[in-house]
This record gives sequence, C-alpha cells and structure tokens, in this order.
Amino acid sequence: MQMEKSKMIMAWFLASEAAFFGFLILAYIYYRNAISSGPTAKSSLDPSVTAIYTVLLIASSGTVWIAQNKLKANRRSDFRGWLLVTVALGAIFLVGQGLEYARLLRHDVTISRNLFGSSFFTLTGFHGLHVLIGLAMLTTMLGMAWFSSIGSKEWIAFESIALYWHFVDVVWIVIFSIIYLGALL
Amino acid sequence: MSDIPFSPAAPLPMPVSGGRLWLGLLSWVSAVDHKQIAILYLLTTTFFFIIGGLEALLMRLQLAWPGLPFLDPGMYNQIFTMHGTTMVFLVVVPALLGFATYMVPLMIGASDMAFPRLNALSFWLLLFGGLLLYFSFIAGGAPAAGWFSYAPLSEKPYSSQTGLDYWALGLLGVGVGTVAAGLNLIVTIFALRTPGQSIRKVPLFVWMVLVNSFLIIAALPALNASLVMLLIDRQLNAHFFTQLGGGSPVLWQHYFWSFGHPEVYIMVLPAFGIISEVIPVFSRKPIFGYGFVAASTVAIALLSLGVWAHHMFALGLGHAWDLAFGASSMLIAVPTGVKIFNWIATMWGGTIRFTTSMLFAMGFLITFTIGGLSGVTFAVVPIDWQVTDTYYVVAHMHYVLFGGTLFAMFAGVYYWFPKMTGRLLSEPIGILHFGLTFIGFNLTFFIQHFLGLAGMPRRVYTYPDFPWWAAMNLTSTIGAFVLGLSVLVFLANWAVSLRNGQVAGENPWGGWTLEWATTSPPPVHNFDRVPPVRSRRPLWDLAHPENPDWRHGQ
Amino acid sequence: MQISTFDPQSPQAHGIASLFVFTLAVCAVIFILVTGLVFYCAYRYGSWSQYVEPPANFGNQKLEITWTVIPLLILLVLFGLTWTTMSAVDPPPASQPDVVITGRQWWWDVEYPRSGAVTANEVHLPVGRNFSIRVQSGDVIHDFWVPQLGRKMDAVPGLQRHIWINVDQPGTYLGACAEYCGAQHAWMRFRVIGDPIEKFDSWQKHEAEPARSSLGGQAELGAQRFQELTCVNCHAIRGTGAKEHIGPDLTHMASRKMLAAERLTNTPEHLSKWLKNPGAVKPGTKMPNLQLAEADITSLTAYLESLQ
Ligand code: HEA
Ligand code: HEA
Ligand code: HEC
Ligand code: CUA
Ligand SMILES: [Cu+2]
Repeated sequence: MQMEKSKMIMAWFLASEAAFFGFLILAYIYYRNAISSGPTAKSSLDPSVTAIYTVLLIASSGTVWIAQNKLKANRRSDFRGWLLVTVALGAIFLVGQGLEYARLLRHDVTISRNLFGSSFFTLTGFHGLHVLIGLAMLTTMLGMAWFSSIGSKEWIAFESIALYWHFVDVVWIVIFSIIYLGALL
Repeated sequence: MSDIPFSPAAPLPMPVSGGRLWLGLLSWVSAVDHKQIAILYLLTTTFFFIIGGLEALLMRLQLAWPGLPFLDPGMYNQIFTMHGTTMVFLVVVPALLGFATYMVPLMIGASDMAFPRLNALSFWLLLFGGLLLYFSFIAGGAPAAGWFSYAPLSEKPYSSQTGLDYWALGLLGVGVGTVAAGLNLIVTIFALRTPGQSIRKVPLFVWMVLVNSFLIIAALPALNASLVMLLIDRQLNAHFFTQLGGGSPVLWQHYFWSFGHPEVYIMVLPAFGIISEVIPVFSRKPIFGYGFVAASTVAIALLSLGVWAHHMFALGLGHAWDLAFGASSMLIAVPTGVKIFNWIATMWGGTIRFTTSMLFAMGFLITFTIGGLSGVTFAVVPIDWQVTDTYYVVAHMHYVLFGGTLFAMFAGVYYWFPKMTGRLLSEPIGILHFGLTFIGFNLTFFIQHFLGLAGMPRRVYTYPDFPWWAAMNLTSTIGAFVLGLSVLVFLANWAVSLRNGQVAGENPWGGWTLEWATTSPPPVHNFDRVPPVRSRRPLWDLAHPENPDWRHGQ
Repeated sequence: MQISTFDPQSPQAHGIASLFVFTLAVCAVIFILVTGLVFYCAYRYGSWSQYVEPPANFGNQKLEITWTVIPLLILLVLFGLTWTTMSAVDPPPASQPDVVITGRQWWWDVEYPRSGAVTANEVHLPVGRNFSIRVQSGDVIHDFWVPQLGRKMDAVPGLQRHIWINVDQPGTYLGACAEYCGAQHAWMRFRVIGDPIEKFDSWQKHEAEPARSSLGGQAELGAQRFQELTCVNCHAIRGTGAKEHIGPDLTHMASRKMLAAERLTNTPEHLSKWLKNPGAVKPGTKMPNLQLAEADITSLTAYLESLQ
C-alpha cells in the first residue's frame, strides 16, 4: 500500500509538471515565430555538442533502470555502482549546460536580449533546475546506500525518484527536438 | 435529538485550552492530523474572508455616491485587486480544500490523508503565500493590476512598484500548495478507501473533490508558468508579455485564462459536492441520479479546459475563435443543468426539513441558477461584446461565487459544524443569518446587472452622475452592509454555539455517510471500527437491514 | 442624453439589443422553472414537525435524457442566433479606416487620416453612414465602448482592431474605456457626436486646418508662453512649432465640449484649474503639475480657449 501511494503521487505530480513544461514549450514555439531581431536558435546554438550531452542524459535513464533492477535483486554494491554512474552522467549533463550558458552569455545572448534568449533560458533553465533536484535526490540515495542500509522505505523512495528521473529525461528529449533539432530546419 | 446521550468525545479541537495555551498553540503549529489542518484552513480562510469583505465594504463606500473623495484611485485600485485576489486564492479555493481535508478521509473510512506532512505543508504554503501578498501593503503598495493582472499594465514600465512582485510570488506559493493538496487528495481517495467502497460508491462530495483535484493539477501549472514568465519580465528585463520585440500581451491572456477559467470551476465543484450531500439528507431521500450527477462533474471539468477565451471576446480574436469558445461555454450549461435538475428531483417526493443548512442549499439552487444563466448570456458572444468589463460581469461572478459557492459553504458549515466541534450551531441564529445573507446578497448584486447594462464599467473608482447610477450604486452599497451584518451574525453564532450549542452526538442529522459513524469530533484515528460498506449509504443499510440500498443495486 | 445599452442608436447596437432581449426571455423562462420547482418542493414536501421516511428513488433515465436534450436544443437556437448576429453587427473591416482612435493613459487620440484632422476624447461621425473605426493603443490595453452604438473593442498595443458604427440620428453618445488600464481608468471617457453629413464635413474641414494665429491681448501672450514653457514637449498645436503627441492635440481644443477625457466641462475656469494642478483634478494623470505662475495660467487659458 505504502509503495503504491508514493509512486502514485509522484506519477500525478509529474503529470502536473508535464503541463507546466508544456506551457513553457508552447511559449518557446510561439516566440520562435515572433522574433524580429537578435540571436536565434539557429544563430547561437550548437546542436551537435548538445546532442552528445543528450545521449549521456538518455543513458542515465538506462543506468538508473539498471540500478533499480540491481536493488530489486538485492545486489547492493552493483546498485551503488550504477547509481554512481547515473549521478555522474547527470552531473556531466549539467556541466554541459553550464558551459553552453557561459558561451551564450559571452556572445551576449542573455535572458533579456530578445525573445529567443528569454524563452530559451526560461525553458532550459527550469529543466536544468529539475535535473539538479533529481541529482540531489539521487545523491542522497547514494549516500544512504553507502553509509547506512537501504530498507524497504528507501526502496520505495527510490522507485519514485527513478520515475522522476525518467520524466526529466523525456522532457529533455522534447526540448532537444524542438529547440536544437528545430534549429536545424 | 435530545435523547442522544452525551458522547464522551475528545475535547474541542480549538487552540484555547486555558493555562496550557502555549502547548496548545504548539500542537497546532506542528499539527499533521487532517482534522487539525482542516480547521487551520477554515480559520485562515475565515480570517481572509473578513479582510476581503472589509475591502469590499471600503469599495462599496467609495462607490455609494458619484464623486466621493473617500479613496483615491491609487488606493481603490489596490483594494479591488486585493479583494479579488484574496477572495479567489485565499478564501474560496482553500476553504473548499479545508472542507475536503476534513471530510474526505472520514467519508472514505480512512484515518488520515495519504501524506499528512505534505498536507501540513500545503496549508503553511497557503498561509505564507497569503501573508507575502499582504506584506506588499507595507512594502510600498499593494498590487493594483486586477486579479488577472493583464500585461502590459502589470509590467515594470506601467507598474513599477513591488506590489506585483509580491502578488506573483505570493500566488506561486499558494499555487504550489494547492497542487500539493490536490495530489494528496487524489492519492487519498484512490488508495485509502475502506474495503467495499468502490470508486463508484464514494459519497458525491468525495467524487467531486476527486475531479476537482484533477482539475487543480491540470490547471494550476498554467498559472505557475505565467507567473514565472511575468516575474522574469519584471525582474530580469525579458519581454514575454510586453509588445517590444515580438512579445505578446495577448499570450498573457491566453495563459492566464487557461488557468483562470478552470479555476472558476475549481471554486465550484466541491461546492456542488456539498450540495449533493446536504439536499439528500434533509430531503430524507438518496440522491437522484447518482451516476448522472457524478458523470456531469467530469463533463464540466473536461469542458472547462476548453472555454478560456470566453474571457477575451472583446479582444477581437476573430469570429471563428469567438464562435468556438461561445459554443463550448454554452455546452457547460448542459451538465450543470443536469445537476440542478437532479437536486430538485431529490427534493421531489421527499420529506424536506428546513434546517439552516437546507435553506442555504435551496438558496443556492436559486441564486446559482441566476449566475449560471447570466454566464450563458456571455456565451452568446455579441451580448458579451456589450456587457463585458461592466458591472454585469461583477454581478455574474458574485452570483456564482457568493450565491453559488459561498451559499454552499454556509450549508456545509451548518451541516458539518456539529461533526467538527461536537455542538450544533444555533438554528434560530442560523435562520437569521440565512435571511440576512439572502436579502443582503440579492440587494447588493442583482442591481449590478442593470448598472452594467446602463453602461457602468467595472474597476472604476468613481463615476459621473448619470441618471439612476447613484441610486443603483447606493442600493448596492446598502446591500453590502446588510451582508456585512449577516457575516457578524454568522460569527456570533459560532461564538454562542461553541459554548452553549446543543451537543451533537454522532449523527445529529441522520446522515448516511461514514463521517457520521464516529464521535463528534472524531478521535485522532477517526474510527474505532469502520462500518461495512456495501452501498453508497452505509449508515442507511446499517439502520435498515430489511431494505438496504445494495439490494437496489446502489 | 442617454448612455445605456437599453437605448440602442445604431443598427449594430440594435442587433445586439434584440438578441439580448430574446436571450433574456429564454433565461427568464428557465429561471422561473427552476425557482418554481424549488418553491413547489418546499411547499409540497416541506415538513416542519414530525416526518415520515419517504420512499427512495434512485433515478430515472428518461428524465435524465429529457433534461439533457431540451437544454441542448435551446442552446442550439442560441448558438444559431449568436452566429447570425455576429456577422451582422461586426462585419470585416474596411481597407482604410475613416478614423483612427488610439487609447493612451488616460485619454483618446482621434485622427481622421483622410483629412488630417486630429482631436481628442471626442469622435465626430456622420449620421446614417457606415463609419469605419480603427482602434489601437499607445501603451497598455484599453477598450473603446459606446454602449448605445455597439460592441466594445479592445485597444491592444501592437495590434490594430476595427469596428463599424452607423449612427441612426444626430446626437451625443457617451463612451468609456472599458478595459482596466491603471490609475485613471475611471476618467478615460469620451463622447461620440453624430452630425448630419454636411455638418460633419464642415467640422472635419475646420478641424483639419491649422490653429488660428490672429490673436490679441492675453491670448497673444499665452501663445508665446505656450512655446516657451514645457507645453511643447507634449502637445501639438498645428500651425505652430508644437508638434509632440504625448498629450492631446490642442489645435482646436476650444471647440471641444469637455476637458481631460470628460473629467470637466470645457470652461475657462475649469481650464485654469486644470493648468494649475492637473493631478488635483485627475489624480495620477500623466500631465505633470508645472507650477505655472498665476499670470501664465491666465494667458494660457485665454490662448487655449480662443483655439476654436
Ligand atoms: C464559481 C465560479 C463560476 C462559475 C460556476 C461560472 C459559470 C459560468 N460562467 Fe462565469 N465567471 C466567473 C465565475 C464562474 N462562472 C468569474 C469569477 C468571472 C469573471 C472573471 C473576471 O473577469 O474577473 C466569470 C466570467 C465569465 C465570462 C466572461 C465574461 C466577460 O468577462 O466578458 C463568461 C463568458 O462566457 C462566463 C461564462 C460562464 C458560463 C457559461 C458558466 C456556466 O458554467 C453556467 C452554467 C449554469 C447554468 C446555465 C444554470 C443551470 C442550468 C440549467 C438550469 C439548465 C438549462 C439552461 C440553459 C438551457 C441555458 N463567465
Ligand atoms: C468568492 C469570491 C468573492 C466574494 C465572496 C466577494 C464578496 C463581495 N464582493 Fe467581490 N469580487 C470578487 C470576488 C468575490 N467578492 C472578484 C474575483 C472580483 C474581481 C476583482 C477584480 O476586478 O480584479 C470582485 C470585485 C468586486 C467588485 C467590483 C470592483 C470593481 O470592479 O471596481 C465589487 C463592487 O461592488 C465587489 C463587491 C463585493 C461585496 C460587497 C462582497 C460582499 O459579499 C462581502 C461580504 C463580506 C463582508 C462584508 C465581510 C464582513 C465582515 C465583517 C463586517 C467583520 C467585522 C469585523 C470583525 C469581526 C473584526 N466585488
Ligand atoms: C509631460 C507631458 C505634458 C506636458 C509637459 C504638458 N501636458 Fe498637457 N496634457 C498631457 C497629457 C498626457 C494630457 C491628457 C491628460 C488626461 O486627460 O489624463 C494633457 C492634457 C492637457 C489639456 C486638456 C486637453 C483636453 O482636450 O482634454 C490641456 C488643455 C493641456 N494639457 C495643456 C497643457 C499646457 C498649457 C501645458 C504647458 C503649460 C501642458 N499641457 C504641458 C501631457 C502634458
Ligand atoms: Cu483606458 Cu481603461
Ligand atoms: Cu470563464
């Protein structure tokens, strides 16, 4: 029962989050057609670099899934290992996003520069924030797995966190397609 | 009722337990029990209702006669903005959540909400969001762009004071808390129902709270996204909603109303739920057409996601848009009508007891219908082109919100107060309260239809001395003070009845749902033993083993 | 002088008014039905003392269908009328507007592009003609509304909106800004004046001309002070060096009935009062208090009131 509850609330929470991202994505699409001057996705983004980070994030969805299976099979050290890989992949993704932001800011593409800047930073910024929160939760799990034992309660929590992580991943795939692949068109 | 023995109930859950006041207060601050949280919700919303109501009285004073110097425009505009924002976000929605938090676990035979601590968090987010909003008064001026803060008026160049930032931040807090409450209720209703109570056997209040919670998690994100974008505009100089460089004031309207319209049903669905409990019990008949009442709720919720642009008819979006949204808005009248007629059919052939609660429910049927019908006149688009942004709209929204939701909540308070406190509210004072409310309400707001048709725009701090305008406004103001008096009578009733009210016992009204199967107020764990549930009216089945509902397939 | 939607004075407003009356009648019938049923139940089934448990009735499918289908049919009729009325009272715009109206915090700029006439807070129209009106905004959202003449239309920054008005008979029709637009939304009113076509034509011709320049006495002095003081930073008086459009065009301001968007009647006393301290007359107004000397106020008033 307990397990059902926390997974259920996470699932509906994510549904609500999906709506939230939906509105930011719609705004991005709307403004993409309204930009009159200044930088655009085409002029300022590098889809090929971001593609690499995207692959890493997608991979982390896979590794978290493996970690989950290890935990189910009660192979604690494997679990810790795969979890560590997940955290590392997520962190690399965030670093990648940071580097990208730094490069954009150097070229004076900012949130107040024009509508591309505003909608791009808002959307990817909120996604980045979600990745950060996910990382914090995963790291906490990792810490617990290392220093104390994982009980049934933590196991339930981990199920929900994994769900969250997959969600963050899916949202990124959508964002990547619309912003980065959209810039190639 | 007097033969009901005094039940050895738990002490009143009120934070005034004499010498141990501090301990008492502490227990409220750290409360996680759903009943305590619910009481906190209801007390907080009462507090904000008084504030919002006093703001309304200030406005009505200023408008009592043309050219009064009582409030200057700057102050008037802050006050109507705060009045609307307070009533919507800090009164109606959280009060309904308060009812839900108290009653849903009881009605489904659970001992608490699914996530008690999250429940507490929702409440505290509401309180702090509300306080943040009101802090703006001290911090250089309250927001003054109306409760839907149209851009670009709400943007830095036109509203440079910090009021709007507090508005956005406060509402973000409240909004997140509301989503959390919605999620909590969904899981509670899905996961914690007592065995035997399938989802098609829950009381209609629970059912409507469930649908409402889904509406919350679907609609609130639109508000949160709009607020975030507005804040980025204001704080980080972006141009989402200013016309500079391709930004769009129209997009703000689309975003806000795709939250704002579902919001108005978020403000009414649980109220429909209360009516669906009160009318059967005081008509001594089961609800007529349970399935249709339940299904129409889903229909309303789904339709409500597709009507937002009916708030934007004056914007000139084009006839195709206007027609589509006019049609979808009209359609909502159908499932709502289904409800009205089923409630009447429930009364039909019953044995109606005119308790205060029932009087409010019957008052609801009449006043809400007026509000609903004026809503339909907006959906007839050309009419809206004339009456939008006038007092006709002010009349509509108060008929549905006050004449609808607040009437239903009053019915709910009289109905459940005994369960929450162990004592009945006084019926004589209650009937006085109802009478004053009904008269004051109609006096205040009916005439506003004519004001609007006579050409008076809304949100004006004063008006020229046109024929009849002064008289009509004065009438409305007098009505508002009668309403104020009615609120005082209501509060007096609490004070009197908490001390001297008749002791309620478990089930003073002969209710049939599970909340009446435990002491009043219920113990912390709610039930010592949950009765078996085989139909929608378990307590009826218990009392009438010779003719249980489940034998009729209910 | 009427202002209410009950007294329509154009085909557009007539169309809406009759649709409203019809809809109201439909709603009245429904309301009487619902209220009647509630009162009947109260009367017939009310119990004040003892009561008997009534028989249960869990529902009736036929009834449910009835009260679903009948409202649907009613709404279908309303929808049909909505559609036809919409196209009748709000046809597509003309290619060139006859008048362009720009809402600004908190007054209306009125320009006739064909003739070059410019005025403020006062729209003149010829009676019995379809007149094409473009509505736009210079800052926040406003809304152009003359209850007796037809639909309201938002003035949205960055967009151009359009309505048609065809005034039935000569007269003055009062209007207001209907979209909340900040401090002085209440005093962002205006008037529409319907004139016979000849009168309208001569008005327009006069209004398009530059301001008169043969002045004397105080007015002469006022004209000079007007150019010297900050007035020219915001106001235009055609025929002089004043060209800015931040405030209302004052070229023929003496010909207008009202001051400051209907706040005051246009008399020399009121004008002096306005110039002395606009914020005292209309708190929040965008025209600053220029701390004018008494003598300046006198001469400026004389000047402006001579600008017929
Ligand atoms: C509790 C909240 C609530 C509810 C339930 C409603 C219900 C409805 N509202 Fe209302 N509305 C508001 C709260 C609410 N509204 C608020 C707050 C505003 C103003 C916002 C602002 O600008 O500040 C507003 C504004 C508003 C507008 C915009 C007006 C404008 O600004 O120009 C419109 C336009 O279509 C509208 C339509 C409707 C309709 C069609 C319904 C329908 O749901 C009504 C359905 C009910 C009935 C029709 C009665 C019962 C039915 C029968 C008896 C059956 C038979 C009936 C027929 C065949 C007609 N509402
Ligand atoms: C549920 C929501 C709700 C409720 C209950 C009310 C209640 C009231 N409203 Fe409000 N109203 C709105 C929601 C609500 N309103 C909204 C959303 C708007 C739009 C805002 C906007 O345009 O942005 C609005 C706007 C609005 C306007 C239009 C303002 C304008 O456009 O310029 C007016 C004007 O008359 C008004 C009046 C009233 C009155 C007289 C009451 C009365 O019913 C109030 C009755 C209550 C009291 C009078 C309190 C009495 C209490 C006491 C007397 C306590 C005594 C003190 C102690 C015990 C300490 N309201
Ligand atoms: C900073 C800009 C500004 C300056 C400077 C300014 N005005 Fe104004 N004026 C306005 C605005 C804006 C209005 C419209 C006010 C309103 O109705 O809210 C206005 C309105 C008026 C009106 C009323 C017009 C009408 O038809 O209603 C008169 C007359 C007037 N100004 C005269 C003057 C004179 C004379 C001066 C100089 C001494 C002056 N103004 C300086 C901005 C300005
Ligand atoms: Cu301009 Cu209201
Ligand atoms: Cu709506």
